[in-house]
Amino acid sequence: MNQTQDRRGVGILALQGAFIEHQTALQRIPSARKINVSLVRTPADLAKCDALIIPGGESTTIALLAKLAGLLEPLRQFSKTKPIWGTCAGAILLAQVVENTKQGGQELLGGISVTVARNGWGSQVESFEAPLTVTVLEDSEKPFTGVFIRAPVVLALHPSPDAPPIQIVARLPPEAVPSTRLLTGLEDPRTIVAVRQGKHLLTTFHPELTKDGRFHEYFVQNCILSSHSI
Amino acid sequence: MSDPAMIKSIVDAVTIPVMAKVRIGHFVEAQILQVIGVDYIDESEVLTPADEEHHINKHNFKVPFVCGARNLGEALRRISEGAAFIRTKGEAGTGNVVEAVRHQRAVMAEVRKASVMSEEELYAYAKEIQAPFHLLKETARLKRLPVVNFAAGGIASPADAALMMQLGCDGVFVGSGIFHSGNPAKRARAIVQAVTHYNNPKVLAEVSEDLGAPMVGLTIDTNMKGGRLAERGW
Repeated sequence: MNQTQDRRGVGILALQGAFIEHQTALQRIPSARKINVSLVRTPADLAKCDALIIPGGESTTIALLAKLAGLLEPLRQFSKTKPIWGTCAGAILLAQVVENTKQGGQELLGGISVTVARNGWGSQVESFEAPLTVTVLEDSEKPFTGVFIRAPVVLALHPSPDAPPIQIVARLPPEAVPSTRLLTGLEDPRTIVAVRQGKHLLTTFHPELTKDGRFHEYFVQNCILSSHSI
Repeated sequence: MSDPAMIKSIVDAVTIPVMAKVRIGHFVEAQILQVIGVDYIDESEVLTPADEEHHINKHNFKVPFVCGARNLGEALRRISEGAAFIRTKGEAGTGNVVEAVRHQRAVMAEVRKASVMSEEELYAYAKEIQAPFHLLKETARLKRLPVVNFAAGGIASPADAALMMQLGCDGVFVGSGIFHSGNPAKRARAIVQAVTHYNNPKVLAEVSEDLGAPMVGLTIDTNMKGGRLAERGW
């Protein structure tokens, strides 16, 4: 009878950015009935969650608001045991090291062992969309539309024997790379746009701005509901 | 439009997106701002209009535009010209939120009215408010504007910002409300927090404490110096 008690609490960090879009996306996916979606603005909100999505937005703004709301330390603790998915600005917060930051650096959670750079492809007018082949998704032969807005890029992966392996989930196809002059070759880390490490997921693009819920379904199924991590 | 050298120095100094203003209808100023790399353009009634009949055809640009509106018809006309965001006009530079409230309440009331109309009524209503039918129909279906909607023009305190958010805005623009106040940095930080925690009176009380003097608010009337800015735009 009391099914809601068995549901997993999925929070969306709602300090700034595209949190409503993530909420709408989670309500549409096949696993929607297995989760309770809530918006997180305070440490008390976070304490009710089993997993968290950090949305796209403006990463220095989100970090500043998290600090002012007393959320930074609770978020760091959360990232040690519970799944987090960061999209675009959220990916920056989830990274271990970030370049092109404001003076004095930027607060990070360090949930995924990668170095990223902010605004890797340029300003607003350099935003673009690209069809991505993502083998871990349902109907993987159907490309997933990646929406890149002032998107960060991955500069390096830092695998370590003490941490879960880093899995590359998606790369930009060579023809979709906006400025190839930045690249050293097809294996350049800048073409990496989705990464998984343990229970955490990082995408430099915005799956919440498309009607395609497969990435949300993947996160819920593989990072939250399945107990074993890879 | 401000001096491009100054705008470029701001773009270089900050990591956040930068928005700059052009005069209503001045598409060449917009071409200049696009090429120097601003992230958004505000086609703003705060500057003296360059064209008294036409707004910029914003579909010709890659950079997104924001435009002001006092009601649903005006908002949908701007969107049909290619505006990617809408904001209330309010009454800029006054520190008086009454006009922004009026415009946001007008838009939301008209959206609610349209959302229960039959298709025949929507055709007649589109004519009445001088809005393109397809955008009105989409607005009625969504029960909100089809683009992001900001509050602007007279927001001067954290409570003003939260008021506009609770009236259905997606975000807030503040200019003189911060820069003409006693402690701009502190007030800016408080207003930013108020937008995030707009539904949490406890946080709003905390951030409203000890902010120093607010900007001196102006009474909005027809004798106001420079006239009423919100009436510019067609």
